[in-house]
Amino acid sequence: MDQEISPLKDDRRWISPPTLGGFVGAGAILTAVAILVGSARHVLPESVAILLFLIAVLISAACFGFWVGIASAVGALAGFNFMFFEPHFTLFIAKPEDVITLGVFLLAAAITGLISGRLREQVDAAQGRAAALEVLSRVSIELSRADAPSDVARVAVRHLNALSRGPSIALSPVEGRLRLLAAEPEDYLPEASELEAADAAFRRRRPEFASAQGWNGSRLTFYPVATGAEDAPGPVIGHARIPADRRDHGWRESAIDVILRQTGQTLQRMALAEKAEAERRRATSEEMRAALLSSLSHDLRTPLATILGSVTTLRELGETLPPAAKADLLVAIEEEAERLARYVEKLLQLTRLKAGSEIHMAWVDAGDAALAAVARARRSWPNARIEATIPPLPMVRAEVGLLEQAIFNLIENAVKYAPGVIRVAGSVERGTLVLSVTDRGRGLPDPIADWLTSDSMTRVPQVSGLGLQISKGIALALGGTLASGHRAQGGAVLEIRLPVPEEHRA
Amino acid sequence: MNGRQTILIVDDEPQIQRFLGHALMAAGYDTVLAGSGSEALAGIASHEPDLMILDLGLPDMNGKEVIERLRLRSDLPVIVLSAHDQEMEKIMALDLGADDFVAKPFGIGELLARLRVSLRQRRAARPDVIRQDGLVIDLAAHQVSRDGEPLRLTPKEFDLLAALASNAGRVMTHRKLLALVWGPAHVDDVPYLRVFVGQLRQKLELDPAKPALILTEPGIGYRWVQPEGGTL
Repeated sequence: MDQEISPLKDDRRWISPPTLGGFVGAGAILTAVAILVGSARHVLPESVAILLFLIAVLISAACFGFWVGIASAVGALAGFNFMFFEPHFTLFIAKPEDVITLGVFLLAAAITGLISGRLREQVDAAQGRAAALEVLSRVSIELSRADAPSDVARVAVRHLNALSRGPSIALSPVEGRLRLLAAEPEDYLPEASELEAADAAFRRRRPEFASAQGWNGSRLTFYPVATGAEDAPGPVIGHARIPADRRDHGWRESAIDVILRQTGQTLQRMALAEKAEAERRRATSEEMRAALLSSLSHDLRTPLATILGSVTTLRELGETLPPAAKADLLVAIEEEAERLARYVEKLLQLTRLKAGSEIHMAWVDAGDAALAAVARARRSWPNARIEATIPPLPMVRAEVGLLEQAIFNLIENAVKYAPGVIRVAGSVERGTLVLSVTDRGRGLPDPIADWLTSDSMTRVPQVSGLGLQISKGIALALGGTLASGHRAQGGAVLEIRLPVPEEHRA
Repeated sequence: MNGRQTILIVDDEPQIQRFLGHALMAAGYDTVLAGSGSEALAGIASHEPDLMILDLGLPDMNGKEVIERLRLRSDLPVIVLSAHDQEMEKIMALDLGADDFVAKPFGIGELLARLRVSLRQRRAARPDVIRQDGLVIDLAAHQVSRDGEPLRLTPKEFDLLAALASNAGRVMTHRKLLALVWGPAHVDDVPYLRVFVGQLRQKLELDPAKPALILTEPGIGYRWVQPEGGTL
């Protein structure tokens, strides 16, 4: 997808059109010289007077360009003729050599005008180029800092406004209709004719140029900006027409052209990045769901197999079973039914990650999530000794409910398998937020510890509740990891490690 | 030896071992327990069991590996316990020489029936004549008749019938049947096998649309029906 903005041709001219201001200025300079020469006519030699008039012409030509220079030369000639040529104080030329003098005068004025005009154009062009480059570099820096399409539009209209010295607006399609996204000046409201032009540019995907000066219609030129996404057409950006009589007109036009291109590219980049991120999130939660479902099916199957097997044994082999065996089978059925009930409870947690739903990340205070999990655990197991030491922690991108659940599951695991005090702590290590649950039990069995630290989401090699798997899944889904270790004094340490974004690092 | 047969139960879930232990004892077998693949292989050497019940979801090695190692030195009958998500592993285990499978969760009756078939297969000498539901299959003379009426089978059809009927009650995987009848080069020609099974059903079954002799094990293979009263 390329933007439909034709590159503007370089239209620098040596001879720029004269302006009224130029004539007035040249007239003033000439008048001043004439008065000076007139008042000192009797002391000034003729050659000096000629030089003075030439200087006036030169200044006019240098300041106001070729045509004003020529006009000024003619004017100077007239003044000089008036004052120095016989007969004095008329514009009549008597001697033929005076005609030659006049011709030389005119030629000098013209050449001076041309050369100075050309110089002037070059200076203008160089200044224009420098200004354009400066604008463009500022634009690209600002665009790279923008983190939403509306920011991009704001940056673009601000610079377009500066370049076109007129209003600039960006309109973005919302449900098929264009809405104002950004404007500079901020209170600028587009007229109906401008909205029409914008709409035409948007629908036809090609620029709609502003009407010429003095004509009715849109005062702004509108360009559609492509984002590269078929399903999400980009905004339409409009800017005021640049007066064609401005010397740096061409440079401004090219700068505007580049800004529009860069805006399109930035929006494209953003759309792609967003797509990739959404895809990554979806894939992570998909993978997590698949892994959880497979571990879940295994964990549900074992109690079911035990219950079904024990019941059918009691029914079909009841007569030959010793009483102790019958009692044992009944106990097994009861235990497994309870285990099943707990799994079903966990299943309800998993519905948070139900198919098709995305994880809604937001800025979360990790400390709050940890404390909420501790409070819930204390309510669930009033006899457990759970200590929490949570310092102020940075904000992380997470979903608060999931993060709390992940910590809660770690605490639950410790309550179930490790007697003694359980400590919940938080810290930050080199850009990583660490939420740890430490117990004083026998430590995790090696296969479980290995599994936890691996990237695999397949089932835990030994019987354990779903809790750890859910915690691991959540940690992975939030872009972090679940790590495990042994305390030197014995016991297990389980850590949820989440990345802390740059801007939140102390 | 007390004349009771010994079953080795290999499962990493203690609660499964628990009820299987009670059930098999009550059904008249002695039991030996193992919690992993390596324990199982050691248990086979020390206890010389008559059959192994093997769970496919072991922590240390997969069931396929256990059977591979076992088959290097013994033809001990093996019944695998499998879950739905271990379909591929189950088929591999059967191809490698497991005798049968029971899907979790299962009723104890189903397991005991499979157990008896597998144990009997090993002890019974292969009969020359199989009689079942009016069918008479003479394996030595390569003849089949129903109610005295001879049935015409091609040599390959007869080989297929022999492979199925002499393993009555046991699942025969596609690969196993293809290897037995057409040789090891044809183990992947499953569509070919389907055609032959179809032809065999047309000639043998009373209602080929509802097969009562050659049962389909979807995705795995075929099973010749266990003869009535054939249980111990």
